[in-house]
This record gives sequence, C-alpha cells and structure tokens, in this order.
Amino acid sequence: MKRFVFSAMLLLGSAFATQYPLTIKDDLGNTVVIKKEPMRIISMLPSNTETLCALGACDRLIGRDDYSNFPKSVEKVQAFGGLYNPNVEGMIAAKPDLVIASKYGKLSERLQQAGIPVIAVNPETYQDIFRKTTLLGKVLNKESQAKALNIKVQAEVKKYEILAKTVKTPKVYFEIDPTPYSIGPNSFMGVILTKAGAQNIIPAELGDFPKISPELVIEKNPQVMLGLSLADAQKRPGWSSIDAVKNKKVIEIPWELNEMLGRPGPRIGEALKGLVKLLHPELAKK
Amino acid sequence: MQRSLPLKRRVYPTLTFTVGALVLCVVLAVSLGSINIPVLTTLSALFKGITGQARDGLEVIVWDVRFPRVLMGMLVGGCLAMSGATYQGLFRNPLADPYLMGVASGASLGATIGLVMGVPNAWLPALALGSSLLSVALILTLSAQGKVLKTTNLILTGVVVGSLSTAISTYLMLNHKDDVRQVFFWTLGNLAFASWQNIQTMLPYLLLGGLFLQSLARPLNTLQLGEPTAYSLGVPVDRLKWLLIVASSLVTAVAVSYVGIIGFVGLIAPHIMRRLVGSHYPVLIPMSALLGGVLLVVADLLARTLIRPSELPVGIVMTVVGGIFFLYLLRKNA
Repeated sequence: MKRFVFSAMLLLGSAFATQYPLTIKDDLGNTVVIKKEPMRIISMLPSNTETLCALGACDRLIGRDDYSNFPKSVEKVQAFGGLYNPNVEGMIAAKPDLVIASKYGKLSERLQQAGIPVIAVNPETYQDIFRKTTLLGKVLNKESQAKALNIKVQAEVKKYEILAKTVKTPKVYFEIDPTPYSIGPNSFMGVILTKAGAQNIIPAELGDFPKISPELVIEKNPQVMLGLSLADAQKRPGWSSIDAVKNKKVIEIPWELNEMLGRPGPRIGEALKGLVKLLHPELAKK
Repeated sequence: MQRSLPLKRRVYPTLTFTVGALVLCVVLAVSLGSINIPVLTTLSALFKGITGQARDGLEVIVWDVRFPRVLMGMLVGGCLAMSGATYQGLFRNPLADPYLMGVASGASLGATIGLVMGVPNAWLPALALGSSLLSVALILTLSAQGKVLKTTNLILTGVVVGSLSTAISTYLMLNHKDDVRQVFFWTLGNLAFASWQNIQTMLPYLLLGGLFLQSLARPLNTLQLGEPTAYSLGVPVDRLKWLLIVASSLVTAVAVSYVGIIGFVGLIAPHIMRRLVGSHYPVLIPMSALLGGVLLVVADLLARTLIRPSELPVGIVMTVVGGIFFLYLLRKNA
C-alpha cells in the first residue's frame, strides 16, 4: 500500500514537472541523459525552433540554424549554419546545455564528442508533429504546455478539415520541386493536402516524396495543380491538355505558406488554413 | 596506301544490326513507360501528330511527351558518343570523354548560378550552354602557348578549371539549400521535359557540329600515327586540334544544356564500336553516334520503367548499366 501511494505520488508529481536527470531515446536511437532543466538551448531545425517557442521557451534559445526565422524574434538569435555547414566550434564556444539537432548530417556525433548534450529530433510524419512536441515538452519541463499546444493545433486542424469536407474535393497534383517531385498521401504534407479537401493523384506506394514521371500527371489529369506557375505548366510538353491547365487552375503557393507547409511544427493548422483557401476560394471567408 | 587505319570487314553487318536495334528501341521506348500504350494508339498518335490533328488522352502522352523524349535521347546519346570518339582520337587516349574539357563542370556552374539567382527554368539551357563554352574558351586560352596546343597542357588545364568550377558550384549550392536538389538532379541528367521545341532549337547546332566533326574525321585518322608523322604528312596539326575541340565541345555543350550531364555514353559507345568496326574515324564517328543513340534510348526507357510510375535520373541508369556492360566487355576481351 505504501509503495502504491509512493508511486502514485511520483506519477502525480511527474504530471506537473519533469524529473531530472531525464533519460530519453532520440531519433538517432541514442540514449541521452539530460541532467538538469536546459536553459541555454541551440535549435538546429526550423520546425523544432517553432515548437520550442510555441511552448514558451523562446527565451532559452541562445542559437539557431540559418533557416529558423519564426517567430520573428528568433532572427535576433545567433545563427550557427545549416545542416551541411554547421559552425561546430561556435556552438561549443556558446556553451549550450542542450543542442536540438537534426538526425541528418553529423552534427550530433561531433557535439557528443565535445561533451555537449545533444538530442536529434526530426518530426517527419503528421503524427510526429505531436509526438515530438510532447517529447520537447518533457525535455524542457513544459509538459502541460506541450499538451495544451497539441490540443490547440489539433483543434485548428480539425476545424479546417471539417470545413473542407463541406465542398467537393478536386483531384490535385502538388509539386514540391520542378524536376518533378511530388508528395505521397502518407507524408505529413500529403496528410495536410488530403485534409485540405483534395484527392492527391500520387499513389501511396510511390513513397512520401517521389520523383514522378511527367506522363503520370497527364494520365491522372488533375483538376488543380499546386506549387508551380501556369506559365511553367503550359510550357511542359503535353501538359496543356491537362484539365487544371486548360481551366487555369494552376496555383503557385505563396512563399510564407510554402514555408509553413514544409515545417512539421505548430503552424501546421495555419498552413492547412492557407491551403484550404487556395484550393477552395469559396470557403475563404469562413 | 588507301587508309591510314584498319577498317574491319564487319562494318555492314554492324551497321544493319545497330540501325535495327535503334528502330526497335525507339518503338519500344515510345510504347512503354509509366503506362504501356497499345500499338494502335501509338500509331494513331503518330499519324495525328505528323498531320497536326488534335490529340487526346494517351495520344498526348505518345506524341507530345514520349516521342520528343525518345528523339532527344537519341540525339543527345549520338552527340555525346560522337564527341567521345573525337576526343579519344584527338588525345589518343581511350579514357577521354566529352566532359574532359570542362564542358560539364562549366555547364553545371552556369545552371547553378541560374538556379540560385532564381532565373526562369526556360533560361537554364542558354546559361548552361554559355558558361560551358566560356569555360572551354578559358581552358583553350590558358593552355595554348602561342598558336600551339599541347595535349598534356590541355588536359591538365581542363582538369583544374573543371575542379574550380565544381568548387564554386558546390559553394553556391551550400548557401542555397533549397535549390540544391534541382542542381543535383541536373547533374544526373534528365530527359523528362524534352519537348519538340527543345529539339527544334538544338537540332541546327547538332547537325552543323556533327557534319563538321565528320568532315574532320580523315585528318583525325592521320593524327593517330602521332603528331610528328601527321606533320610530315602535311596535316596542319595545331589547327586541326583547335577545330576538333571547338566542334566537339559545341556539340557536347548543346546536348548538355538541355538534359544535364549524362556520363559514360561518350566513353563506351566509341569503345564498343571500335571493337566492332575498327578505328577508321570516318566510319567510327557515325557508327558511335548510332550506338550512342541506342544506349541512351535504352537507358532512358529503363529509367522510366524500372520503378514506375516513379522515375530514376537517366544518368544513374546509364552509368550503372553501361558500366556493368563495359566491365563485362573488358573482361571478356582481356
């Protein structure tokens, strides 16, 4: 009985505050022990930077990667390069008590060797957005904020998802790169696209971000194309026979929306809203 | 002495076989792809395309997408093989290929600059072409001593200028993360967006360059006997070298500018042909062009069908398939 009460108390306690030292397994499969609540943090991935700030830990940020630019205030924080050209020496000199790195690149390994605590966190699927928020909440002693943030973002997503269900869903081709690359329905961008009220023409078995054949687009004959300009689409051999091109439903994605869409972070609900408006202008007022 | 180099007897059978293979490959390549297209549809699309009638559905795919793509593969493969044969003869080095003179790295640099500066995609070929010709000009200027062009100087200068351009492109790519993939894919070669218009634009340059190379084939034969001998036979060796380099670089640069860099075809097509028909350049050059066309059409067909409806960059397929085949040939003949 005593033991039960004790563990119940422990559980209760942990619901309010993270117990340090905290042991977690990161996205590289490394077991990392975080000794105390991290107060000097470098975040090397824009989506993580956004999550961190949304959890109310923006003031703990002493460094970021070159591409982190939201919220605006992080632009004042010192930048330490990107995935391929991280300024490792600068990071070590800044004496962070935690670096949140990408699992790609070799940054994690090099910082570890230098004795800097580092975790690799890469949200990739739609569900990851919430899982990683929970994880970061735990690491930062912001668990309740993480829970609240997840609920808020999910509610926002739900709202626009339901709204998009009220109208017809066109067949959509979404181009992320003109070589051409598209998005599969299981990628987090693909999930958002479907939620925005679109039938993705890319079959799931092609994978998350497949390089596709231009013939496939002609054959599937999408009604709307996103991510390229009408002029570009018209120039491609055979594409002027596609419904979307004929009806001039080829829509370029505004820069800011494109950035939000590419970041599996707390602005995904807002990204969904933007996408719904692009796809269904008739819903724009709601 | 009628010919300066041996011509094997197998020319006509090889010619027949290669042309047959080319026709077969073109037909296959037009009907197979992300979706297989029935012969009837293919024929009606060809008919409607030639007579300029309206096309729909699968016919659009055949005439507007696949056919130009296959033709482009043929042209580019042919050009690279032709330049390859020329370079190998010029440098008397079986490992010489069309990219030796920095054409590829020069073109990549141009394309990279265009991409990071946000130039519209339609301009990229022009930029690639311009910068590759510039880099060839630079190499020629740097390596020439007066009017004399020393082969070793030329190769060394080519390698160094090529590495410099690559270094600059890489630096630019690192600083413009978002464009990396486009540049990267450009360097792997891509026939996906070949159009009739592209073909129309490049055809005059290719024909001109090709005919010019062909007209230099006989003097190139003489060059195989060594420069001193060629001199004493009355061949203006230095002028010949200049002309050969300029013509083959132009042809390569035009090919590269539309489809990106496709390696290997310029190396292996002349090799295979040399084994079959010998090193008589007036025969070797056009035969290599034919085989180069076959190889690239096949490589592109594989690139489109191996993981369909997704695609592989054709340069990767060319290198893997061509490389394995080449190794097999080498071992068999060792």
